[in-house]
Amino acid sequence: MEQTSAAQCPMHEVRRIPNDGTPLCPSPTFAIWREEGSATPLEYSDGHQGLIINRYELAKMILEDKRFSQTPARMPAHHGEELTAQYGLSSGSDLDLGNVLGLDGEQHARIRRTILNRYSVRSARGYEADMKAIVAQQLKHLMAQPTPVDLTKHYAQPISAAGHVRVLGIPEQFRQEYSQLFVGESTTDEKVEFIRRVIAVKKDCLAEDVLSDLLRSDLLVPEIEGLSLSLFVSGRDSVAYMIATCMTALLNNPDQLKALRDDPTLIMGGMEEFMRVGAMFLTLFPRTATEDLELGGVRIAAGQSVSVSPVAANHDPAQFPDPDKFDLSRDAFGHVGFGHGIHGCVGQQVARVEIREGVMQLIQGIPSLYLVHAEQNEPGPFAHPVATYEAGEVIVGWN
Amino acid sequence: MKITVDRDACIGAGQCALVAGAVFDQDDEGLVVLLNVSPGEDMHTFVHKAAKLCPASAIAVED
Repeated sequence: MEQTSAAQCPMHEVRRIPNDGTPLCPSPTFAIWREEGSATPLEYSDGHQGLIINRYELAKMILEDKRFSQTPARMPAHHGEELTAQYGLSSGSDLDLGNVLGLDGEQHARIRRTILNRYSVRSARGYEADMKAIVAQQLKHLMAQPTPVDLTKHYAQPISAAGHVRVLGIPEQFRQEYSQLFVGESTTDEKVEFIRRVIAVKKDCLAEDVLSDLLRSDLLVPEIEGLSLSLFVSGRDSVAYMIATCMTALLNNPDQLKALRDDPTLIMGGMEEFMRVGAMFLTLFPRTATEDLELGGVRIAAGQSVSVSPVAANHDPAQFPDPDKFDLSRDAFGHVGFGHGIHGCVGQQVARVEIREGVMQLIQGIPSLYLVHAEQNEPGPFAHPVATYEAGEVIVGWN
Repeated sequence: MKITVDRDACIGAGQCALVAGAVFDQDDEGLVVLLNVSPGEDMHTFVHKAAKLCPASAIAVED
């Protein structure tokens, strides 16, 4: 993929998502685009043209506006296929009825409503004890490894899998297979077949968890299966990514690491700064305008693809002064690292608990922790067409 | 200060409960519950923040 340079004329050059940034150090291209305007023409990986939104205020307006559709089918055919492959969707199958990220209107509200309870702030508080125990066990495993060791593989990924198993309520006997299929590689069909086996067992042992709520609800079987596919996949890699990214950020910035060790209460506000600087999505799942509209002075045509950039919006100096400075004591609430609006990350309150626990136990448990090498500190490939960073190896050691 | 919340507008994002947990909570449907209509001065900044962060503009604050 070509790298766009600052010197190129905005009227004549095709803009693609810049690939010279890293998760903690975004491409300078975003700042240039942001200064040029709040929306920039963007060429997607399949060649069609849309807009990328680089400024905070317009980003939030778009994400709150009901005149955009999530439905991949509205996009050019090839694009829809890529989204299918990236998100494990079953294109055209009735499992789409449960794919909360790709739904609009009443069907979206119906699906999302069934899971709000288990992902609320109140429910997230209820998982804290279990998350503490999950993290403590994984820390023990990490510390038993010979060093240098990859904390993404031996700490972040397993914590994210165990967290999902706990909140979803996946029965114990499926724990290892869940890791194999969802941390490891598998096809969509393999994932769906696994989900069906889990549900068959779960039906007879309902408890207080997401899967039980789905099975007690009035959702139809394909809706339950489709939603389960979304929930089993989504947010798991993101939790692993964030633990790896937070640790990289801290190990890159010893003053911040010291501040957090000296005052652990900093983590409550600091969590938002982690999400601001370490946002995983260069662009969110693309929206499609359902009518001609104008927002924040930008004209958008019906049918146009619009991609909000959390990375760009989170570095908008109009919202976050001195945006490139990683500062755990700043007020970073209101960032769009979890998205925003009705499609904002539904699991975010649970994610906060897991990530906080993962970071705090590690920095307190290994005082002499040091960074050997983080893949995140160099530009690397990211996914398409929804551009997300990957966790990468974070090789650490201790004395 | 007097706070009103609109449960019909609420989308269950939880930002209010996150930043002002002494004043806002979420019920079994994930929707906003107002714990205190007129909290003390020490909470005022957090209440304003919650109102600002709400993606559905479901919180109204009268000072």
